[in-house]
Amino acid sequence: MHQTLLTLAIIGYVVATGLALAYLVQREELLHRLASLATLAAWVLHTGALLALAIELGRPPLASLPEALSVAVWVVVVLEMWLERRYGLSVLGAFVLPVALAFSLQSTPMRPLIGQTLSGAWVWVHIGLALVGIAALVFNFAGALMYLLQERQLRAKRPGALYYTLPALATLDRLTYRTLALGFPFLTTGLLLGVLWAGAAWGSVFAFDPLAFLSYVAWAVYAATLAGRAVGGWHGRRAAYFAILGFAALAITLGAGLFLPGKHGG
Amino acid sequence: MPLFVAGLSHRNAPVALREQLAVDEDKLRELLRDIGATGVVREALILSTCNRVEVYAVADVPGEARTATFRRLCHHRGVGPDSVETALYTYVDGEAVRHAFRVASSLDSMMIGEPQILGQVKDAFALAQSCETVGPALHTLFTQAFAVAKKVRTETEIARHAVSVSFAAVELAKKIFAGLDGKAVLLVGAGKMSELAARHLIEQGAFPLYVANRTWARAQELARALSGTAVPFDELTTALAAVDIVITSTGAPAPVITRETVDRVLPARRGRPLFFIDIAVPRDVEEAVDMLDGVYRYDIDDLKQVVDANIRERGREAHRAEALVEREVAKFVTRLGDVEVIPTIVSLRERLEAIRAGEVKRTLARLPGATLETREAIEALSSAIVNKILHAPITKLRESSRAGSPRSWLELVHELFGLGRK
Repeated sequence: MHQTLLTLAIIGYVVATGLALAYLVQREELLHRLASLATLAAWVLHTGALLALAIELGRPPLASLPEALSVAVWVVVVLEMWLERRYGLSVLGAFVLPVALAFSLQSTPMRPLIGQTLSGAWVWVHIGLALVGIAALVFNFAGALMYLLQERQLRAKRPGALYYTLPALATLDRLTYRTLALGFPFLTTGLLLGVLWAGAAWGSVFAFDPLAFLSYVAWAVYAATLAGRAVGGWHGRRAAYFAILGFAALAITLGAGLFLPGKHGG
Repeated sequence: MPLFVAGLSHRNAPVALREQLAVDEDKLRELLRDIGATGVVREALILSTCNRVEVYAVADVPGEARTATFRRLCHHRGVGPDSVETALYTYVDGEAVRHAFRVASSLDSMMIGEPQILGQVKDAFALAQSCETVGPALHTLFTQAFAVAKKVRTETEIARHAVSVSFAAVELAKKIFAGLDGKAVLLVGAGKMSELAARHLIEQGAFPLYVANRTWARAQELARALSGTAVPFDELTTALAAVDIVITSTGAPAPVITRETVDRVLPARRGRPLFFIDIAVPRDVEEAVDMLDGVYRYDIDDLKQVVDANIRERGREAHRAEALVEREVAKFVTRLGDVEVIPTIVSLRERLEAIRAGEVKRTLARLPGATLETREAIEALSSAIVNKILHAPITKLRESSRAGSPRSWLELVHELFGLGRK
């Protein structure tokens, strides 16, 4: 049941992504309306899939990385719809939906965690916090990407379609800063709990697990960016490049967690 | 529906001809009364701007009315009618409606989306109203044209992007800083255009404003005019570290702001973006400034390029606006069909209502003991009879009007119900 719904949801995300990208280029209001509709429809299907999965499993679908990622996508999409409406940011979908789609493609098919013992409330908190952090950082990435594109438009001095549709540089810079400031504490606490839990459950903080290991790298990039912004007065382009670097590290981390053998149930 | 518009505009007539026909307000009044008195038109409105002279009118024989109207116009202005006659365009009925909507929405303007035309059409309408040459048809037409113009303005971005250099600079500043509230501006040199750009920025909330000029007195004078502060020219570098937007327009033969200068102030700015609007020729800001992070420099050609892009953008939006106008025209033409028969329908209703009310009153006078219920029942009964009787003729009038041949039916109804001369 959940698998059918999830497949339909993913088809919906594919359609929504296509329409959102077409809107970015064509700027036809109709495309935007269709993209919003497709996003909403896919999200409703996704909600159904997650509920069905939770019922089948008899627990929240958060025990493995694919499950948690699917929930992260669900959070990202609902935030995307809200932000788009709240701030009249009609092009946001074109930058967020592709990422959401990539994440949801990786999270299927979902296999339940084998041979793992998840115990204690800490592990749920660990997963929940990391998930919120990742969702915020998806928007951090989208904001940085939009910033760099708008910056290029302004430097080229030849206004193209993006000049008209993308928001002002200052707005985008604020978006990347705020999402980082919001996402980083969640990511940090989530990781910290993971480390503590790993120390207790695996016997060692450094027990080899690709996701755990790489996530320290991603965390370090984000920590450097945040420090640069808060203390070093970083702005604009440099901050945006680091946001993209950090997200690349995060994506690699998650990819490693999914495809390499490890303790995160890939 | 014999509605037509005839005229000439920037599209087909050179300014040499347009200026000959342009009429001032007093002449317009005279002309409107004159045309109204001839009896060839039933309703008339004249729109006279520097880009067009047009007559909107309702007449039984549009061709004849057009000739008569423009003869008079030429006569008033002392122009030979032949040169005008060949340049005239004429639109009838649906096409005239479309033309009125397009003109009011600024789709037929030289600069698409320019805001003045709507006001000019409104003035022309008010003038024609005061001369009592506006009847039901033109009234409906123009009220709707104003509504369509408003819709075009709000639902498309036809008038959104700047088409002048100084406004384009303000728009660019907004694309960099989002809001301009509290953004500091430095004016270097004192040209008319830079002053204009500074005023636009201040209107958008930019504050404070500094003025630097080689002539100290001129700096002070301009600072006073713009409620800013004058700063000595040799303290330019200090000022650069503090402000967000710099407008330059000195007459200096070589750049007054070099890459080196800007590079030196960047650390103190802690990454805040800096926007140079360089209106001077030869330019005041070195081109190499472009290389610096967080610094944006637009010279006069760059700004013109932005204006060109904005004009293309308006053209794009104009396509959407045309589609909107087209839908409104279709809706309106169906409605306009009824306009001609509405006065007759109204007087028909009034006539029968008067008869009904009179008879009810007489009857009730003879029934002093009637209860409230009885009175109400008699009112309701008589109203129902009148409405039933009216239904068929009113429907028939509307249908005939939509089919385009209401004249004979109108006469028939007038005769049958004794409605008096129309």
